[in-house]
Amino acid sequence: MIANELIQVEALNDPVWIRIRDLIYQVSGIYQAENKFYLLVSRCNVRMKAVGSRTPREYLDFLMARPNRDAEMRNLLNEITIGETCLFRSMPQIEALRKVVIPSLMEVKRKLSFTKLRFWSAGCSTGEESYTLAMLMMEETQTRLKGWTFEIMATDLNERSVAKAHEGIYNDYAVRNVPPEYMKKYFTPAGSNFRVADSVRPFVTFNRLNMLDDSKMLFMRGIDVIFCCNVLIYFDGRSKNRTVNHFYNALLTNGYFFLGQSESLYGITEKFHLVHFPGATAYWKPSEPVAKAGGL
Amino acid sequence: METLDHLRSRITSIDSMPTIPVILRPLLHCLDQPVEQIDITRIVELVSYDKSIAAQCVRMANSALFGRNKPVESVRTAVMNLGMWRVRDLLFSNSLTNVIPVNRWVVDAAVFWRHSLGVALVCRKFAEILGYPDTEKAYLAGLLHDIGILVNSMVVPEEFRVTFEKATREQIPLNEAELATLGFTHCDSGRVLAEAWKITPDLIEAIELHHDIGDSQRGGPLVAIVHLSDLLCRLRDLGYGYYEPRQIDFENEPGWLYLVMQFPNLADLDLARFTFTLDEYATEVEELVSTVFAH
Repeated sequence: MIANELIQVEALNDPVWIRIRDLIYQVSGIYQAENKFYLLVSRCNVRMKAVGSRTPREYLDFLMARPNRDAEMRNLLNEITIGETCLFRSMPQIEALRKVVIPSLMEVKRKLSFTKLRFWSAGCSTGEESYTLAMLMMEETQTRLKGWTFEIMATDLNERSVAKAHEGIYNDYAVRNVPPEYMKKYFTPAGSNFRVADSVRPFVTFNRLNMLDDSKMLFMRGIDVIFCCNVLIYFDGRSKNRTVNHFYNALLTNGYFFLGQSESLYGITEKFHLVHFPGATAYWKPSEPVAKAGGL
Repeated sequence: METLDHLRSRITSIDSMPTIPVILRPLLHCLDQPVEQIDITRIVELVSYDKSIAAQCVRMANSALFGRNKPVESVRTAVMNLGMWRVRDLLFSNSLTNVIPVNRWVVDAAVFWRHSLGVALVCRKFAEILGYPDTEKAYLAGLLHDIGILVNSMVVPEEFRVTFEKATREQIPLNEAELATLGFTHCDSGRVLAEAWKITPDLIEAIELHHDIGDSQRGGPLVAIVHLSDLLCRLRDLGYGYYEPRQIDFENEPGWLYLVMQFPNLADLDLARFTFTLDEYATEVEELVSTVFAH
């Protein structure tokens, strides 16, 4: 902790880190808060060593120089989001889902006599988020959502990730946030690892999908909640725009779109409404696209 | 239901009504100047009046966040290193914390100041972004917006304890719980205290209307700034320590719509990014609160 604080003091003193932070935000929409600067600095340090930059200034220049700009930004973003995947990763998002989003969707759907919820884990990687959603929903359907059904559609571009997700076997680091009662109910030991229980699996379907493939994306419809965490950060502006438009069309009215914990859609589309929950934000699809307040 | 007059006579007739801290008036006066005209010598003098505050300044100046190689020993150096704002934060927190005795706090004192300082910082930042001319007034309004909680803790301690427990248990906003159990809110009692302390009318309105901006534009931008900053803090872990399950669409909140009409540049604000930066305040507030409460 002391080491972290020392890095932070040093980081705050060098305005170049602010410029690197702003550049990352501009390109990817991921914001590095100053109280977490020690993370930014340590991750940049890894990349600085790799590319041979001696100072943050030099690294910023390298990040902005034409031939290596895109590739290095990708490497840096990889470094920044590394190790972020685990089950029950973002408790504020999970709480928002359980305490606000599901009750709100229940109310809307009940009026229409619909009793099914559909989730899409877009860019599901090795399946941690998808199984988390399934476990949460299994709990819900045993209590206030009795009689309801649900499905989780999980997609990723990478075939190997999809295969691994299918396996559903995780090490103890990946399950470190799983509450003990969920561990007991929804996992079985597999050597030194943990295997997702058979009871969870029917609720999740894993498929390979390229989000830039318009013809495939058009088939995704009737979704209530989309999770797409730390995936769009790798897309350029146009691809991001196109994909988010697909997400918008895939969502039912009143549906929700969750990005990563500190990821934003700013500058991509104004069709969604940014909504705040305690400790989390999401994008909500209103019944009619409404102009931003300033346009009134 | 209590009327404001009835509440006023009930509160002011009680001996335990909080009195304005002695340090507060000269400090408010001193800080009521443009930043460049603030008299550092006078601030150092005010800090030195109170040994415990002076010690806190020195301790904070030596903390990891500000620490330099050379230890800070004098109050003056500590004040210079911390900067006016942080010193002022420390002074306010201290003087207002001592307004009610330690054993009379219903809401944990550290939690109360965490929220008040958080709202103050967000109000100032928000005012800066808007181009609202008096950012320091916005800061003060944020700092003082919940002083009604001090009144309730002193004047109706048992009823207020039950009220706070109800709000926590039912995860509802405090003012809703107060209306249900007390018949008045900390906004009403805050107004009475602010009047007794002879705080300026615009600040009184911000205190009174910060939960109830929907049907009134009496207080103008200041009320809306406090209202939205309070909401943001409660959503970003700078609230009263309990979960309020709710969804806020800021851009369609009455306070936001009102501010956009007054300050059109607000429509261009990257609200998501602004929200993420609030987590930076949390660290600053923690540092300050732990300095004040590390007795």
